[in-house]
Amino acid sequence: MSISHETLKAMIRDYNGFDLSDEELELVRPELEYYLDELRRLDALDLSDAFSSRLLRLPE
Amino acid sequence: MSNTDLLQMTISELAPKIHSKEISPVELTEASLAAAETLQTDLNSFIAILHDRAMDQAREAETDISRGDYRGPLHGIPIGLKDNLATAGITTTLGTKVLADHVPEEDAEVVRRCRDAGAIIIGKENLEEFAAGATSNNPHFGAVHNPWGLDHIPGGSSGGGGANVASGVTFASLGTDLGGSVRLPGTFCGVVGLKQSFGRVSQRGLLVTSFNGDHIGPMTRSVADSALMLQVLAGNDPLDPSTVPVPVPDYSAHLGKGLKGLKMGVPSNHYFDMLDSEVEEAVRRSIAALEELGAELQEVSLPSMEYIGALRISAMADGIVTHEPFIKSNREDYGPDTLYRTIPGQFVLGRDYSKSLKVQRLIQEEYARVMQQVDFLITPTAPVPAPRIDAKYITMDGVEHRVRGPGSSLISRNTSPLNAIGLPAITVPCGVNKLGLPIGVQFITGPFEESLLFQVADCYEKVSPSQGLRPKVAVGT
Repeated sequence: MSISHETLKAMIRDYNGFDLSDEELELVRPELEYYLDELRRLDALDLSDAFSSRLLRLPE
Repeated sequence: MSNTDLLQMTISELAPKIHSKEISPVELTEASLAAAETLQTDLNSFIAILHDRAMDQAREAETDISRGDYRGPLHGIPIGLKDNLATAGITTTLGTKVLADHVPEEDAEVVRRCRDAGAIIIGKENLEEFAAGATSNNPHFGAVHNPWGLDHIPGGSSGGGGANVASGVTFASLGTDLGGSVRLPGTFCGVVGLKQSFGRVSQRGLLVTSFNGDHIGPMTRSVADSALMLQVLAGNDPLDPSTVPVPVPDYSAHLGKGLKGLKMGVPSNHYFDMLDSEVEEAVRRSIAALEELGAELQEVSLPSMEYIGALRISAMADGIVTHEPFIKSNREDYGPDTLYRTIPGQFVLGRDYSKSLKVQRLIQEEYARVMQQVDFLITPTAPVPAPRIDAKYITMDGVEHRVRGPGSSLISRNTSPLNAIGLPAITVPCGVNKLGLPIGVQFITGPFEESLLFQVADCYEKVSPSQGLRPKVAVGT
């Protein structure tokens, strides 16, 4: 999974972000790749138990 | 006593001699300032040396002590402050050109506490720009050099403090630790570095940081000195909602007690998975030494650590929010490592930020369960000894890892989890590698159990192979 320069530039434009040239987008790419890699790992993780949320469910 | 002998002492050794007027705070501060100025050429550990102010404080301390007004173990002791801690009327740069002329109007709460305890502040110490990294290779004020090997980093971001305590310039330095920034200079410079429980010490006056996981902690030459420092720093701050109003015990009371019957947890995953072989050998020897001292070894599993990297996602979002006003006004003044490590935070989705916080909670719950089974955990502090200043990558098991800037995370792999979890952790030197670079072992206890942490660390320190070792560049060398 990767995000294209075009998508990143659209996000910057539409969400009022800090402008980045093509060269600068390459410089931030390692940090972005890290973000995406970690997200991919989370696909396999069930987070429904975190914050003990099951304790708040009504008895079935 | 020569200045060299004087500057090699610990606070615990000095304090009674200052109290009994055997040692003069004025002479001690003069010696400390002279060492600071001499070693600055090699170490570049200060952004500002506060000669005149320090001497004024020292004279005041000497007058107070001579008339019987002794305030405690820090009275008359020269210390350093990382330059992201606010000091009233004194430039506080955060190691960045962006705030090169920033002069706070009031002291950080920890600075006020140190001043009230009579400590002498001799300088503002060099750091990674905005404290955002682990190398202390500062693009504006120059790299801090490791006194054990000048071509190597001292660790970061509180590198100036680590170098100063190790080389004999300061007796303690206050650093800040958002991912290991006290404990990494502690391990790379061969000194003791403490990150106490989240909420134990006020963060008020720690500038441009995240609300989630930053801590102000001391670097010292001994565990006993770390306990003395925390005694002064700890306590509720009504103006800092992150502090927790729990009683502050006598942190020195448990020093010297044994380990017999204490359960020592050794994680079976994460902390020992990616290690330099000499680091692993040194830490395994530490574990054996603790068993000899009576600790009972118990392997513990922390399966959620597989997802610890996801916590960086919320940190990225926090980072861009923290830096947004400064990037808007002074983008051109940022160093490239900090800028391009911070700006990607603008792409983090709210959904992913929230997921990251859920992972944080999951891991916190897992540690809470594990700490019911054992009294303390032991891990390597850093997976490698101090890299070279010019290193961009470290290769381990055939994989290249960035040392600094965007995408870097290896060095803080074993320290940053404790920032998110909030448990207290301390690094203690446990030997040196073949190049003579220090290695550190990290101890972790349950929340607000710093007394136990000091007890364990003090026991280990007494048998550590680092006892008596000194860096190549230090006072008297």
